[in-house]
Amino acid sequence: MARYIFRRLLGMLVVIFLVLTIAFVIVRLAPGDPAALMLGPEATAEDASALRAELGLDRPILVQYLAFIGNAVQGDLGTSIFFKRPVTEVLAGRAEPTIFLSLFSLTIALVIATPIGIYAAYRRGSALDQSAITIAMLAASIPSFWTGLMFQRYLATDLGWFPASGYGGPDADFLERMRHLILPSIVLGIVNSALILRFTRASMLDILGEDYIRTARSKGMGEARVVLRHALKNAAIPIITVIGLTFALLVSGAVVTERVFNIPGMGNLVVSAVLRRDYPIIQGTLIVVATLYVLINLATDLAYLLVDKRVKY
Amino acid sequence: MTIPMTGKAGLLAALLAGSAFASSAFAQTTIDVAIVGEADTLDPMTSTKDVVSIVTQHFVETLYTFDSSWNIAPLLATALPEISDDGLTYTIGIRDGITFHDGSSMDAKDVVASLNRWLSVATRGKGVADKVASVEATGDHEVTITMTEPYSPLLSLLAFSNSAAAIYPEEIIADTIDPVIGTGPYKIADHVPDQYLQLVRFDDYVSRDEASDGAAGARKQIPDEIRFIPVPDANTRVEGLLSGQFDFADALPAESFDRLDASDTAGPMLLKPFGWPVFAINHKAGLLTDKTIRQALQAALPIDDMLFAAFGDDNFFLVDGPLYPEGWVWRNDTGVEYFNQNDQAKAAELLKQAGYDGTPLRILTSRQYEFHYKMAEVAKMALEAAGFTVQMDVVDWATLGQRRNDPALWDIYITHSPFLPEPALTDLYSASSRLGWSNPEKDAILAKFTSETDMEARKDLFAELQGQLFEDVGFIKIGAFNALSGTRDGLTGVTATPWPFFWNASVE
Repeated sequence: MARYIFRRLLGMLVVIFLVLTIAFVIVRLAPGDPAALMLGPEATAEDASALRAELGLDRPILVQYLAFIGNAVQGDLGTSIFFKRPVTEVLAGRAEPTIFLSLFSLTIALVIATPIGIYAAYRRGSALDQSAITIAMLAASIPSFWTGLMFQRYLATDLGWFPASGYGGPDADFLERMRHLILPSIVLGIVNSALILRFTRASMLDILGEDYIRTARSKGMGEARVVLRHALKNAAIPIITVIGLTFALLVSGAVVTERVFNIPGMGNLVVSAVLRRDYPIIQGTLIVVATLYVLINLATDLAYLLVDKRVKY
Repeated sequence: MTIPMTGKAGLLAALLAGSAFASSAFAQTTIDVAIVGEADTLDPMTSTKDVVSIVTQHFVETLYTFDSSWNIAPLLATALPEISDDGLTYTIGIRDGITFHDGSSMDAKDVVASLNRWLSVATRGKGVADKVASVEATGDHEVTITMTEPYSPLLSLLAFSNSAAAIYPEEIIADTIDPVIGTGPYKIADHVPDQYLQLVRFDDYVSRDEASDGAAGARKQIPDEIRFIPVPDANTRVEGLLSGQFDFADALPAESFDRLDASDTAGPMLLKPFGWPVFAINHKAGLLTDKTIRQALQAALPIDDMLFAAFGDDNFFLVDGPLYPEGWVWRNDTGVEYFNQNDQAKAAELLKQAGYDGTPLRILTSRQYEFHYKMAEVAKMALEAAGFTVQMDVVDWATLGQRRNDPALWDIYITHSPFLPEPALTDLYSASSRLGWSNPEKDAILAKFTSETDMEARKDLFAELQGQLFEDVGFIKIGAFNALSGTRDGLTGVTATPWPFFWNASVE
């Protein structure tokens, strides 16, 4: 078990190194000059090249790469061109909204998806099953920006139930900041519930047809116990997998939703960084996201151990 | 960051009740302003972006500023300067008793150090540096600028908030200024990039006595706090304004006009006109170095159709040829017969005359500003009808900003500018700009225009310059467009300008 985790973490290092390299190359393949952008529309070409030199962007690409890798190994992801602060510090400042937005969204998705998924499978073909599938399809097909815009306009602007955007001002305490996450969480929760619902239903359907379920029933076991104890536990692995994937997606930045609601999280940061050509921030975000992906996958695999004693690493 | 020890129900109740607390906590002495994005820097010398000007003018000041009719008015200077008859010496009195945000008092040494930095680091300062012989303190509160040749736009440059000749304490002058310390009516209290910039009233501020007029005159420091909130998505700015989050929202989409108009919490504020779209022409290399082909381009363009496609609604554009709108001193009609010709047959004739060989005309544009792209689309059809081969290079704004610096990569790029108080504040006319527009006659007119100090003579010279622009096709001004902002109902003391300010603003 310890060896397994060690092996996985070693693999993670390889993944991160690859991501570092690809990130470095890709952001520089895109044309565009951060210096010219910062100086504004009236700046001359000479001003821009002077600033490029100051930022070290005029050095040979290989020199920049080696310096980047060298620093990254020591945990230094460089300094943001735009913010002029260490990338790690900027990213840390964006962690709170993104983490809580992900947790709330996932919770909402689970609260919607699992009971309906289980019940739809249990009452297969019923009106509820049919409508659950239709609604899930709909929720998955409507782009989150549209849902976001509609909720924002009607629930926030017109009805005033929620703040329309942002993350609270200078005097916002923790609760006030969290209040700003409710509406975007609902949007993301609905969008992400569709996939979890379909997986739960499909997985439960498979198990409910198994012989041991019939055995359990014929022993006179109560329906609730059959479904929730015997069936759900055995159906859990694919469900956990999709929950893990959903969470990883959410943490890596709900780009569109964060933009619509102006939440200062990782997704919003990375979009701005691309528009600003803030190379170190783009690289840093990619590295953090890749690391999170690997860690969440690992956690998902370890979670299998909890629900299925037959799984051994 | 404390979480009260309540149960789940309590937590939920607190979350839902938050709105009630929030609205009562900050009473109406705070003005919340939604801006288009985070300011790249808080040092206005080092950027020519409008968002930098809008934000920084609240805490950093210049010697001069503009009143509501775009006349130059003193700010940190005591009065307009004494200019010697040869136009070479400017003697500027500096106000006594002005305090910087760090508590030090301003004197001539601070002004000299700041202006010297401006001449060496600011885009607009560097542009005039070769004409400045010296900047000297000639008294505790007097500064003398000596020029090598007369240069009439100097005062406008000293007054402009964009690439501004900001006055800092001598002690903080360095390549990078951080934190920024100015003399403005507000000072920086807190700054979380991409979230907010919180400004609070500066208690030791000494306002001018004259009545407020544009940015000139009294700065009354009415709000206790001004908060600038970067909201990059235009629609989010609209929703935030309508839901009561913001007192002012800048740069809103034209489509939101009707909603704002119908709303009972907020309303539209139209800046009419805001500025002008421009097709910048490459005179350094490529197809448009040929004057006849440039004239064909000018003949073919259907400016009215382009504007309609770009802005959709008469409320938002004006098919107007002269370089300055009605009501401005620079307004004149020279050469406007070449504006909006929409004559593809004439263009085809000119192309034939020029022996046009079908080389693609490369239009470099971006969808960052959707109206640029839409104008280009319509222009393309008209140009093709006239016989041009058109190549649209649609890139993002960052790429455009880089590519336009290389004359080998484009023939036309599209941009826009607010109407500027002094024509020489844009370098589009200058032979040394990235357009490289130059011919002996125009260069002579421009040289006279920038050295002449008599206003009537300058107006005539500007008319000649406008004539040259149309005749030689230096660049193409595509009419004029309006800008939409939104204000909360009851907000007063804010005037429509490309660089709105809030020191005289109050909300009922």
